[in-house]
This record gives sequence, C-alpha cells and structure tokens, in this order.
Amino acid sequence: MMRRLSILAAIIIVAGFAVYWWLTMPVVVAASALPAHTPDLSNGKTAFNIGGCSSCHAVPNQPDRTRLGGGLPLTTPFGIFHVPNISPDVKDGIGGWSEAQFVTAVLEGVSPQGAHYFPAFPYASYHRAKLTDIRDMFAYIKTLPPVSGAAPAHEIAFPFNIRRNVGIWKLLFMERQPFAAVAGQSPQWNRGAYLVNTLGHCAECHSPRNALGGIVAAQRFAGGPNPEGKGWVPNITQKNLDDWSEKDIAYFLESGLLPDGDSAGGSMASVIKNTSQLSAEDRTAMAVYLKSLAPVEGPARPKSN
Amino acid sequence: MKRMFVTVAAVLLGIGAVYAQQDVVNQRQTSMKENGKNIGGVLGAMAKGEKPYDQAAVDAAIAKLAENAKTMGTLFPENTKGLKADGKYSASPKIWENRADFDSHVASYTKAVNEVSAAGIKNLDALKAAVPTLGKQCSGCHETYRLKEG
Ligand code: HEC
Ligand code: HEC
Ligand code: HEC
Repeated sequence: MMRRLSILAAIIIVAGFAVYWWLTMPVVVAASALPAHTPDLSNGKTAFNIGGCSSCHAVPNQPDRTRLGGGLPLTTPFGIFHVPNISPDVKDGIGGWSEAQFVTAVLEGVSPQGAHYFPAFPYASYHRAKLTDIRDMFAYIKTLPPVSGAAPAHEIAFPFNIRRNVGIWKLLFMERQPFAAVAGQSPQWNRGAYLVNTLGHCAECHSPRNALGGIVAAQRFAGGPNPEGKGWVPNITQKNLDDWSEKDIAYFLESGLLPDGDSAGGSMASVIKNTSQLSAEDRTAMAVYLKSLAPVEGPARPKSN
Repeated sequence: MKRMFVTVAAVLLGIGAVYAQQDVVNQRQTSMKENGKNIGGVLGAMAKGEKPYDQAAVDAAIAKLAENAKTMGTLFPENTKGLKADGKYSASPKIWENRADFDSHVASYTKAVNEVSAAGIKNLDALKAAVPTLGKQCSGCHETYRLKEG
C-alpha cells in the first residue's frame, strides 16, 4: 500500500513537473518566421525613442543617450537588477546577435540561450508592438557606437531568481494579443493608444501592481507606489488629468512643464527626454488617447511616506 | 551669571543660525516657484497657444529666470542638508553627496538661460524652440535632486 502510494506521488510530481516545464516553455521567434524587410532607420529611431531604451540602457551619469553600455542598477521589491549592455559591441553588447534573437528578446522576453528575461525589462508591454517597428529598431541600434564593458550580475533573492518561474508570470500577466486598432476610433487616437500601450510602456509605472509584480488590470493608468522604490506615481486617467487639456499633456511630454507651472521630476524626467524626441504629431496622438481614458480611482495613497 | 549669559547667547545664536538656514530653504523654494510661474505660466502658455504672444511679458519672464539663475548655486549651502519647509517638495541629500554633479546641473541650466537671454526671443517660433530646451534642464535636475513627498 505504502509503496503504491509513493509511486503515485512520484507520478504526480513528475507529471506536475512536466506541466510546469510545458507551461513555462520560452517562446522563440525563428529567423525563418521573419519575412523580407528593408529597415527604415528613421522609424527605428522613433521606436527606440518612444521605447525609452536609453532610460535604462544608456551608461548612467553621462549625457549621450546613444551609448547603450548599461550598468544602471534598478532597485525593485525583488532585488537589484543591473541593466545589461545592448550597444553593438560584439563582445559585451549585442553586436553578435541575429535579428531573430533581438526580436525574440524584445517581443517575447527570451534570451538567445532560451531563458526568460525578468520583467524589469518591460517586454510585457513591448510584446504588443509591431514586428516591423522592432526590426527597424534593431537596424537603428546597429548604427550606434559600440561600448565595451559588462554589467555585474543581478542581485535577486530566491525564488524570484529562477528564470523558469518567469514563464508562469508571463502566463498570468502578459497580454497575448498583439495591439489591434479599435474600429470607430480615429487613426490619431489609435496611434496614441499604440504608442502609450506598447513601446511607451506608460502603464508599467502608472499602475498599481500585485504581490507578484503584475499590473492590476482594473486600475491600469490609475497610479500607485513607484515600482522602482520611493515615492508615488500619479494617476493619468481623467480622474486626475481632467483639468489638463490635450495641449497641456502634449506640451508636458515635450518640455516636462506642468500646466500649473511646476516641472517634472523623478523617473518621469527621463521619460520626457525620450518623448521630447518624438514628432509633435505623435505627442498629440498620445495626449488624445490619454484624454479618452475613463476616470479610474487609484489605490489609496498613504498619508506620509 | 556671566557664564549663564554666554550660554544663553550661544543658544540664541544657535537658534538664530537654524532660522537663517530655514530662511535659505524658503528663499530657494520661492525662487523655484517664480521660475515655474515664469516658464510655465508665461512662456509655456504662449508657446502652447493659450495666451497671445506678448513681447514685453516674454522679455520680463526671461530676465527673471536669468536673475534667479545667478543665485541658484548659492541657495543650497551644506548646512541646509536635511531641512524641509512646508509643501510637497524638498532638496535631496544627494546634492551634498555629489556636489560637483549638482553644480554642473546649475551651470548647464544657467548657460542655457543666458544663451536664450543673450540671443533674445523675438517671435513665437523662437519661443517654441526655447521653452522645451529650458524645461528639460529643470526636470533634468529635479530627476535626481528634488524629492517629492509620499
Ligand atoms: C525599465 C528599464 C528597461 C527599459 C526601459 C528597457 N530595458 Fe532592456 N533590459 C532591462 C533589464 C533589467 C534587462 C535584463 C533582464 C534580465 O536579465 O532578465 C534588459 C535586457 C535587455 C536585452 C537583453 C540583453 C542581454 O544581454 O541578454 C535586450 C536586447 C534589451 N533589454 C533591449 C531593450 C530595448 C531595445 C529597449 C527599448 C525598446 C529596452 N531594452 C528597454 C531593462 C530595461
Ligand atoms: C519610469 C516610470 C514612468 C514611466 C515609464 C512613465 N511615467 Fe509618467 N510619471 C512618472 C512619475 C514618477 C511621475 C511624477 C513626476 C514627479 O514627481 O514630478 C509621472 C508623471 C506623469 C504625468 C504628470 C501627472 C501629474 O499629475 O503630475 C503625466 C501626464 C505622465 N507622467 C504621463 C506619462 C506617459 C504618457 C507615459 C508614457 C509615455 C509615462 N508617463 C511613462 C513615472 C513614469
Ligand atoms: C540645479 C538643479 C535645479 C534646476 C536647474 C532647477 N531646479 Fe527647481 N528645484 C530644485 C530643487 C533641489 C528643489 C527642491 C528645493 C527645496 O524644497 O528645498 C526644486 C524645487 C522646485 C519647485 C518646487 C518649489 C516648492 O517648494 O513648491 C519648482 C516649482 C521648481 N523647482 C521649478 C523649477 C523650474 C521651472 C526650473 C527651470 C526653469 C527649475 N526648477 C530648475 C533643483 C533645480
């Protein structure tokens, strides 16, 4: 009896492990899945700017946003991530990567070795971007200066350091559907919705997160504690931005100036460095989309912190 | 009796020094708020098209920004580290830990303001180009050196 039970238990464990393995299988984009494409460098630059890659990957404490040598430490509730080098350096960066490897990393969050990346790299948002935008971005990054030097290893506590577990996180929190234009909305609104929700990854900071670090869908854009540590990220639904005009929002994304005569600080300042590089049309499109967001009450903000 | 007098004087002087430091904090916040009013309320509002272009107001606002920029570096003395005033903002202790970098932000902002002021803004297009350049200097410093409560 005892023996039978333990065999049964072993079967359940093995089956459980097989299911776990199957559920957490990394998705890889094969080179053969990429149709012929002539890269558009100017579109690649736009995608790179709205994607905010420089905010994390540019070498810290120097002004050149195209030196993507990495090294910035990102402090999160799960530990410290050290952002890697994604410059075209062959040894320390992604100079030796194929286009399919880059697409797999940015759209699927999977490394050339087939491991999951941690979601501190905001691929859960990039995942919904257009394939052509990512391919153009790759071509653009290839034109930037190679920077040597590798970042130190991440300092993440168990069990969050097990990359395979990230597969479960992806199942729970990564939207599977690519971005689709909403019929009945203007092309301008759809462009704004696309930029804000995919490459712009605005919701990654402007939403509360649950204990596993997933965005609370019902309170998307309603603000919450800063995922990178101290402070509070404001609500950007019409609950808070009702007295901002479209022009106010577009101008804020260009200049960092708020309508009340204040100026942005904290991590938004580096977002402004990215959005200020976009075209006025793209900034206005994002403003039009943000003005259309229904008012949503965010989590209660602690009185003092 | 003499000794007590000396102690009292020392205590008063000590308090006096704290008051003076608190004063500097208030002064810099007032100066920053003026910057905000001039660049956001005056220049930004015109650049956005909310207010009509007004040359006299443009000149006055830029002159005020240039004047405030001159004293900006002196309003963050070491002895105000950790001091706070009312309101939602305070100065980060990092100012005094990375003083050279903070000073380079002050210098870069001052240079930008002086360039705009020397070139003189004569029309709306020039204004539209200048304001975001200055605005990014403001947020570039606030990113690291200004703390928001809560
Ligand atoms: C919020 C910070 C952040 C932003 C923004 C960001 N990344 Fe990253 N990125 C990371 C982190 C952290 C990692 C490491 C993830 C890991 O090790 O699991 C990473 C990893 C990568 C890698 C894999 C590098 C390697 O050596 O394996 C690539 C490629 C990459 N990012 C590209 C991009 C691109 C392109 C953008 C802009 C569209 C971007 N990242 C924006 C934080 C960021
Ligand atoms: C890295 C985190 C992060 C990302 C990504 C981010 N924001 Fe922000 N945002 C902030 C923080 C923090 C503030 C508060 C700034 C301050 O304290 O001055 C803010 C402020 C704002 C405000 C001003 C709100 C107010 O009431 O003051 C707007 C509007 C805004 N963000 C829009 C956006 C948009 C649009 C995007 C996407 C393009 C975006 N943000 C992406 C962190 C972020
Ligand atoms: C060299 C750094 C630096 C530059 C440049 C700078 N600021 Fe500041 N600013 C600060 C610091 C630090 C504080 C917080 C001061 C305190 O509370 O003691 C601050 C505070 C503020 C405040 C909040 C004042 C309050 O107490 O409510 C406003 C508004 C402001 N700055 C606007 C601006 C504007 C607009 C510009 C550009 C025209 C600008 N600042 C340029 C560093 C800077």
